[in-house]
Amino acid sequence: MTGQPVLSVNDLRVSFATRDGLAPVVNGLTYQVAQGETLAIVGESGSGKSVSSMALMQLLPTPPARVTGEALFEGRNLLTLEEPEIRKVRGNKIAMIFQDPMTSLNPVRTIGKQLIEPLELHRGLTGNVARERAAELLDAVGIPSARERLDDYPHQFSGGMRQRVVIAMGICCEPDVLIADEATTALDVTTQAKIIEEIKDLQDRLGMALIWITHDLGVVAGVADTVVVLYGGRIMEQAPVDGLFDQRRHPYTRGLLASLPVPGRNRPKKLNAIPGLPPDPLRLPAGCPFSPRCVHAVEVCRSDRPDVRWPLDDHAVACHFDPEELYA
Amino acid sequence: MTEVPTVAHRSRLRTTVETVLRNRLAVVGLIILGALIVTAIFAPLIAPHGINEIDIANRLSGPSTDHWFGTDDVGRDVFSRVVIASRVSLQVGLISVGIALALGVPVGLLSGFYGGKVDSILMRLMDILFSVPAIVLAIAIVAALGPNLVNAMIAIGIVYTPIFARITRGSVLSLRDAVFIRAVRSLGANDARIVISHILPNVIAPIIVQTSLSLAFAILAEAALSFLGLGVQPPNPAWGRMLSDGRGFFQQAPWMAIFPGLAIFVTVFAFNAVGDGLRDALDPQQRSVIEARGAGE
Amino acid sequence: MATVTGFIARRIGQMILALFGVSVIVFALIHFVPGDPVRIALGTRFDPDVYDALMKRSGLDRPLLEQFVAWLGSAVRGDLGVSFRSQQPVTGLVLERLPATLTLAGAALFLAVGVGVPLGVISAVRQGSKLDYVATAASQVGVSVPDFWAGIMYILLFSLTLGWLPPSGYVSLFDDPAGWLSHLILPATAVGLVSASIIYRFVRSAVLEAFNQDFTRTARAKGLSSRRVLWDHVLPNAWIPIVTVIGLQLGFLLGGVVVVEILFAWPGIGRLAFVAVGDRDFTLLQGTVLYIAFMFLIINLLVDIIYGWLDPRIRYD
Repeated sequence: MTGQPVLSVNDLRVSFATRDGLAPVVNGLTYQVAQGETLAIVGESGSGKSVSSMALMQLLPTPPARVTGEALFEGRNLLTLEEPEIRKVRGNKIAMIFQDPMTSLNPVRTIGKQLIEPLELHRGLTGNVARERAAELLDAVGIPSARERLDDYPHQFSGGMRQRVVIAMGICCEPDVLIADEATTALDVTTQAKIIEEIKDLQDRLGMALIWITHDLGVVAGVADTVVVLYGGRIMEQAPVDGLFDQRRHPYTRGLLASLPVPGRNRPKKLNAIPGLPPDPLRLPAGCPFSPRCVHAVEVCRSDRPDVRWPLDDHAVACHFDPEELYA
Repeated sequence: MTEVPTVAHRSRLRTTVETVLRNRLAVVGLIILGALIVTAIFAPLIAPHGINEIDIANRLSGPSTDHWFGTDDVGRDVFSRVVIASRVSLQVGLISVGIALALGVPVGLLSGFYGGKVDSILMRLMDILFSVPAIVLAIAIVAALGPNLVNAMIAIGIVYTPIFARITRGSVLSLRDAVFIRAVRSLGANDARIVISHILPNVIAPIIVQTSLSLAFAILAEAALSFLGLGVQPPNPAWGRMLSDGRGFFQQAPWMAIFPGLAIFVTVFAFNAVGDGLRDALDPQQRSVIEARGAGE
Repeated sequence: MATVTGFIARRIGQMILALFGVSVIVFALIHFVPGDPVRIALGTRFDPDVYDALMKRSGLDRPLLEQFVAWLGSAVRGDLGVSFRSQQPVTGLVLERLPATLTLAGAALFLAVGVGVPLGVISAVRQGSKLDYVATAASQVGVSVPDFWAGIMYILLFSLTLGWLPPSGYVSLFDDPAGWLSHLILPATAVGLVSASIIYRFVRSAVLEAFNQDFTRTARAKGLSSRRVLWDHVLPNAWIPIVTVIGLQLGFLLGGVVVVEILFAWPGIGRLAFVAVGDRDFTLLQGTVLYIAFMFLIINLLVDIIYGWLDPRIRYD
């Protein structure tokens, strides 16, 4: 961590009231991000990664969802802010961009209007001034003929362009934190790489903290400073990116890395998938959530929740055993 | 040893039935329908009087222990007539929807699967049928063919064919390019096999929902037709016709019109309730043919 | 063609095609009738001279195809033949009755949209509230009620029992506005409430669906208030299916109006068609059905145009 944390999340818990009971989706998530730092939150679908971020900005409908914990930003707990207050934060101090650019944009409104909305709301820009600024933003994210394209509709843009528009909407008020939830998953590999580059560029220029949510470890390597690995709504491992890839102490992280397909002629015949299925929030084991699928699991894993240990100052693992014991 | 968790496997039929049963309104609808079917089947046994038992002395009398729904202008027991008429309504409903299914689903399958010219022609045909409001078209058909029970069934069946065609076609279109179809095709399945064994089972859900809803409308349509004198002919009782007869005796004997209408209402309500329950269970995101209309043009 | 005019032109072309198809069917239906239509229509008032004149006039003695072409030709020019019964031009008879039907259909539509749309939106926004519950239950009932039975019940209650409103008949707006309204209320409500229930259910589900879309999430994430999210994002997307369902309801309304006209002795086209059926007056029936189809298609055309205006994606297809 390179300085004071800009956002500090403590013991975030989110559960959903379903017909079949209370489903705990996020179970005690704790992390910090500093200015200019990039934190990657990695997990499978259903690991609670998206839900945790949406909870930060109170974007979850609170009858079915129950949120507890702390998310400290500018000295206040985001989770307990009143509606008018949290609205001032959304899109302004903390911005979130989502996965599918086709559905994330309103199909019946011009992108100009959609871009101007936050400018109007948070910066009080109107009329031509707002349009100018919007055109500048489109320019900044690499959209040609920005001024003319303000009056176009989302379906008139390609996938990569649309995502750039979404990014422009996200950074338009120069937020302190940008949360990118699977922002490049729906794009092809080349566009993915370009977009990642552009976001990192913007991050440098604006000094934003970046929270990158993904299931793709390959992306993580190129983007993150610190990585948090989630499973069953809990942190399994947390480390600086190099440390994670070099030392991969948690069995789940190992499994994830091992399952990455290896290009080249001497590939193994089979892909190494982690056996089993993602956990059902309604049926989590009492102990370690990964225990049903862990090849090293023993009785204590299933019955007792492992504490978070810190073998190194900046590297945490939630496992009953030391990696030396497991991988000797 | 690693314990690999599995997801409990419940058959789709079972989940559907469970969801429907959880919906109280749908359950009420099912009970009513059950009662209706029993009534229709055992009608002659249930009706205390004959449908043409004329009893002038007791004409236009109100509900009593002997005549639960009162008597009509020539002394016939309204209750018995309503009960017997249930057979007509159910018959017309089932057969006309059967016709609509038999015509509409194959058209939709062919249209969606083959696309191109076949699709254009068939859909134009369906559009033409759609161009005339349902009742008007039914009236015109019955007028041409002659007013009787069979023609009423045919007319309603034809009128509701386009809806089934549309729904089937819509579902087929969304499946046609699905990966699993390509997989099956690459295994050598021919067109007929693909359509019957693979596509049809997946489009059944919206068809089932529409069937229940169409049954409701078919019964309404039959009632409208017989109200206008274009359905079953006297002396056979039909709910719509009884309504029409009752009009002339509003002031003296309102029960002549109230009870048959109530019967229609309850029946239609039951079919709608069950249909809604089915829709929620089978496909909560089903965009009805009405919403799909724009996309299909 | 990526222009609005191109879009309209194509829709008009489709409409003409459909109209042609309808005329074929209508024409064919008449000729399905076993026996001699003119003779049947004249019935007991059979008169050889009238018979001959009618035969000539309607050209039923000529081959089928020729008849059709001739009929179509004159239909395009506005001449739909002559009623067998009254020997008056069909077109005139229809146009005479048109205002009454349009008034009734318009009033019913006004009621249906005026009740159905706002209630649907409110119920969707306040999903799960008492209002939502009650309105949805009421719509369940409303959808299942046969409009003619509802009409009968209204007459029973409001006319015969309470005596508030007249049970039947039509009064022109220009003669007596109050009378016009009081005569209009019951029939319009009979048809309109059923339609309102259908529209309510669709509007509610359309708005709910729009609420669950990703772009709504984006809008909220930008910090927009619930009100702005509703008016600027949710509703503009919900208008599209809403307009479609209203458009289709027009067809339903026209059909419902037919039956209700008969019930309330409302002198409209529906009643005319019914009388034509009873009289076996086939040219009249032909003309009436064609007119109804024509009106219906024009309305659908208008709905499609509005649809294209609301949804920019459609304009470019």
